[in-house]
Amino acid sequence: MTIVTSEHLSKWYGQVSGLNDVSVSVPSGITGLLGPNGAGKSTFMKLITGQLRPSKGQVRVLGEPIWDNPALFQRIGFCPEQDAFYDRMTGREWVSALAGLHGFDERTAADAAARAIAAVELTEAADRKIGSYSKGMRQRIKLAQAIAHEPELLILDEPLSGMDPLMRRRTVKQIKEWARNGTSVLVSSHILHEIESMTSNILLINNGRIVAEGDVHQIRDLIDEHPHTVSIRTVQAHAVARELLADEGVVSVRFDPGGLVVETARPDAFYARVTDLAASGRFGPIDEITSPDDNLQAVFRYLVKQ
Amino acid sequence: MPIHDQGYRRYAGRRRPTGTAWWVIARQQIRTVLSQKRYLILLLLAWVPFVGRVVQIYLAANFQQASFLATSAQLFRGFLDQQGLFVFLLIVGASGAIADDRRANALQVYLSKPLTRVEYIAGKLFAPLAFVLGVTLLPALLLLVVHVAFSGSLTFVVQNLYLLPAIVLYSVVLALVGAFTMVALSSLSKSRRFTALTFTGLFFFTTAMYQALQRITGSRLWALISPRDMLSVIGDAAFRVPGARALPLWAALLGMTVIIALSILVLERRIRGVEVVK
Amino acid sequence: MSTRPVPPSFAAGAVRVFGLSLGEMLWSRRTVFLLLITGAPVFLALVARIVQGSGVVPLRVNGAAVDGGSIFGMMIWVFFLRFIVPVLGVFYGTALIADEVEDRTLTYLFTRPIRRGAVLVGKYLAYIVSTTLVVLPSVVLVYFLLVPLGQVARTFVAFAADLGLLALGLAAYGALFALVGAALKRPLVSGLVFVFGWEQVALLVPGYLKRFTVAHYVQALVPHAMPSEGVASLLQSVLRDNPPALVCILVLAAVVGAALWLGVKAVESREYVLDQ
Repeated sequence: MTIVTSEHLSKWYGQVSGLNDVSVSVPSGITGLLGPNGAGKSTFMKLITGQLRPSKGQVRVLGEPIWDNPALFQRIGFCPEQDAFYDRMTGREWVSALAGLHGFDERTAADAAARAIAAVELTEAADRKIGSYSKGMRQRIKLAQAIAHEPELLILDEPLSGMDPLMRRRTVKQIKEWARNGTSVLVSSHILHEIESMTSNILLINNGRIVAEGDVHQIRDLIDEHPHTVSIRTVQAHAVARELLADEGVVSVRFDPGGLVVETARPDAFYARVTDLAASGRFGPIDEITSPDDNLQAVFRYLVKQ
Repeated sequence: MPIHDQGYRRYAGRRRPTGTAWWVIARQQIRTVLSQKRYLILLLLAWVPFVGRVVQIYLAANFQQASFLATSAQLFRGFLDQQGLFVFLLIVGASGAIADDRRANALQVYLSKPLTRVEYIAGKLFAPLAFVLGVTLLPALLLLVVHVAFSGSLTFVVQNLYLLPAIVLYSVVLALVGAFTMVALSSLSKSRRFTALTFTGLFFFTTAMYQALQRITGSRLWALISPRDMLSVIGDAAFRVPGARALPLWAALLGMTVIIALSILVLERRIRGVEVVK
Repeated sequence: MSTRPVPPSFAAGAVRVFGLSLGEMLWSRRTVFLLLITGAPVFLALVARIVQGSGVVPLRVNGAAVDGGSIFGMMIWVFFLRFIVPVLGVFYGTALIADEVEDRTLTYLFTRPIRRGAVLVGKYLAYIVSTTLVVLPSVVLVYFLLVPLGQVARTFVAFAADLGLLALGLAAYGALFALVGAALKRPLVSGLVFVFGWEQVALLVPGYLKRFTVAHYVQALVPHAMPSEGVASLLQSVLRDNPPALVCILVLAAVVGAALWLGVKAVESREYVLDQ
């Protein structure tokens, strides 16, 4: 099931293009929206949350157009990036009041708020004014208001900003738990390793255009101009190198303490070859084979050229 | 050494002497104002009455038929009164002086630098002071110079020596009270809009209050609650306008001093690096 | 949660936003401003009462001796009608949406299953309640401070009319400036120009222009004589042509309805870009 679809979606602010001809389908599950600053992430977020109207093209969320369709927000929870609250209200009051805008009666809204606050581990501070919260607590209460009404789709803009490392891990774990329970999550961030810890399904934006979408490993495979880097730990590094250099796909070899690092343009064939070598035992044990750049950082770096 | 260290190096150049950091803030404020078209237009328009007065002085000096337009002390008083609207708008334009910094949580950043609170406040005050004096004191003094230039003699100036200190006193009091009040109000809020409205409200309301109280009680001492009327007393006294005044000059000056002192008190309490929320 | 509630209707959504906004409006620092300007006439009334009670100096307005009822009428004109009501309308009306934009909290309201227009209407209702809760008691206090008890029965109807017209004035100005705040980028300047510029000039000019002001209809409902201090007020009193009370009430109600309807349209079609 696709949660967000856009067709030739464009948005410009006067002469400046914020988003340019974006056509994507975001599947259910957890999807990471990535891009450097100024890439168009915020614009895309605002378009899919109905804050902005497309200049061209269309965007549908959960199968319906989002602009001027407030009823759809019954199924969507949004955690915006900005650190802005009604500082005079307590966390509990604020989340209850916002939950009440979903049609819950007072009692149900209060219960929903209490559950959401417990989920983000803020129960002890719930009756303090938001103005007295730390940055991390403010971030968590923002998450609480997004989940209080148990939406089908959670749209989170930099949800881990301001949290300490322990709370980040817990929040990532919580997000994965929500996804397992059937909630789709679209997370925008530029902290790559956190996105990587949540999902391998990404949407990469740069300069207002979609650069890549899908599984990060599949994307990596498709990046031809950057040969795959494979690190092999073995005692007989030189002998293995001599053997591998005969392969056409091998671009370069360099030696590291304890092994060698190979660049290959044909990763599948290369892995099959190394497997055969390891199985044959001709060059002694091969202790470890890893790919340092089969990850999000490498994809990001190669595609965004930063 | 053939390969140079590319790492971090401490700045070893010349630094400005301490106590001059206020100028950085003031300069930034002035640049921000001047980068906005509407303020540039306002500043230009504020000089239109000056041009009108220059024409008046020229005509009076060169045409017998225009002798009724002859320069007098009241010309300068009238000119400064005429600038009232521009002064008001320029001061209201400074409503974001501290409010914007509070909104952006920038006070902590400022006060974590080698910058004292006094320097910060001085920097914030400078822009409204400079702009107000630029449309009051400067053109008024220039009118004196223009008169001397067109009349070809210093007679008028010598005969009215009090004009120079009168212009300075009136302009400086106006600028100081306006700037201090606005900057103090700005420190009370995170919204420049709220600050501007509060200033506008207080300005008109105190005048209305004075007029009502004066009618009800028959006493003009209530002018002490109206900065606008206190300033009027100071202007009348400085420019030697005949007639009874609502207040003695010393009382009006004291009233203005109290306003400035209250503003300083507010600023002292509000300009802090942290805000305690209970 | 197995069953999701039905999204609130427009009216229900507005009521919920009203509940959320009322507390914010009443307990904010702006209320200090509100109390100050509505407290000032009470202070004046107290002074007048003391002066009158002392018997040392008879109450006078422009040299003529007057009673408390006349001073009450003067204060309705000078403070409430010409200043407090329009200024509160500008102050709060333009801020209904603009404040949420400035504080960057608008996103929370616009990503709920309620129409954007309901947000505007809900906040408008909160404005009406907040301002009338502060302004009308101020008028009541001023009335009972100034008007001798023996005259209350005689003047009570006019006093009730004053309360009604002030509430209507707050509603009309508030709705008009809610529209201005929703539709324009710099609503405050436009609001101040309208109140202190356009309305003042239009009321002075003979002809139809004054019909395009709110002040014309509100002032026509006032049961007290207009004070004449200064040329402007004198001119206004000479050039007044008061429409019938029913017409004024209907026009003001129409202003409220039309301004709110247009405001709803503006809010639902406009894009609000918040500073990050």
